[in-house]
Amino acid sequence: MELPPIRFENVTVRFEERDVLKDVRLTLNEQRIGIIGANGAGKSTLSRLINGLVLPTEGSVHVGDLNTRNHAKQIRRDVGFVFQNPANQIIMPLVSEDIAFGLKNLQIPKAERQLRVHETLAELNISHLADRESHTLSGGEQQMVALASVLAMRPRTIVFDEPTTMLDLRNRLAFQREIAKLAQRAIVVTHDLEILEDFDRVLVVTDGAIAFDGRPEEAIAHYRQWSHA
Amino acid sequence: MIAAKNTSYLARVKPGWKFGTLLVLSIGLYLISSWQVLLPLFILSAILLLSARVDLKQLRMPLFSLAMILGIVFILLALQTDWANAVVSVLRLLTMCLMAYAVSLTTSFDAMLELFQQVASPLRFLGANPAQIALGLSMTIRFIPELKKVYLEVREAQHARGLGNNPLAVSVPLVIRSLKIADETAEALDARGYDSAPYRR
Repeated sequence: MELPPIRFENVTVRFEERDVLKDVRLTLNEQRIGIIGANGAGKSTLSRLINGLVLPTEGSVHVGDLNTRNHAKQIRRDVGFVFQNPANQIIMPLVSEDIAFGLKNLQIPKAERQLRVHETLAELNISHLADRESHTLSGGEQQMVALASVLAMRPRTIVFDEPTTMLDLRNRLAFQREIAKLAQRAIVVTHDLEILEDFDRVLVVTDGAIAFDGRPEEAIAHYRQWSHA
Repeated sequence: MIAAKNTSYLARVKPGWKFGTLLVLSIGLYLISSWQVLLPLFILSAILLLSARVDLKQLRMPLFSLAMILGIVFILLALQTDWANAVVSVLRLLTMCLMAYAVSLTTSFDAMLELFQQVASPLRFLGANPAQIALGLSMTIRFIPELKKVYLEVREAQHARGLGNNPLAVSVPLVIRSLKIADETAEALDARGYDSAPYRR
């Protein structure tokens, strides 16, 4: 799978006079990228810039040749997003219909939609949830359904915003295994440092800037040191 | 109540036909005022529902509520008019409800939304977008249980703080959390490629 580079060019994001991100310059080419940092450091904003959910106040973000400012809709076909709270991400009352929702937005024909829903559920071993009402799912099941709804759209990049925060240990490990299996690029914002052990690259965000960028073990050591300071 | 997967003969009938027939039969029932005719129709509707292989466990609560309501209707009508009239009215309503359960429980939610969009398509001429209305409907059904969950959490938290059943103490955090859910859901809609642009004539 060819992965388009993601470029941040002098990106500043300002919310109500406050610089949430300041002059970020980055190119992401790796398949497994982690983003860590304290609460309010700008991690979630950085992740939301990738598919145009947040637009830069200054500078630009590019996925391949596409600028998020002008091509957000096109980029969202290729960059999926799994949110921290899956309950608010599941739109439809039934699981199978929720997974089909994104495909409908891509105007995929009904027969193909049904096939993809079936395949994706089977891929994640959650076929038994297909006819369940969304509000009856447990937290772990909801997170798997949220992932399925993104995977069904077959993006090449998936951004996860603190995906394991609301999960117990068992579900967290199961979700971690699913992320590890993905053929897609995974960009994971997390406080769960264990997830990042096998990653290719980890960014440490501090006060709206990239304070460290490197291999997981070094980045985690840097973050621990910063946290104790 | 949302239809679980149903594989009966009724599930294979096109939703437009099913709902159209239900509408015609429901109107037709009001033209019948003889309990001798309504009783076999009621039995037929019960057979229709049973033959549609619906999950009877799913129907237990709705049928219980229906029986309670119709019981009250029956007594009130019997006292105000006469027993025969009460029997006719209750048989009519029961027949209609059983047919409606048979139709709705053998039609997937998605198919119902598609049908709704087709039926509401003339609204386009008034500038409305039937697809948006349909999405609004499905999201209402989806999020009622979520909001109930939030309400119970807020109420529990306020009880823990000794605020009892103070409506203000419950409603303010409930509104704030509901707005947060709305914000996050709007973001999720965007992320999943939903085009929220209004319908253009």
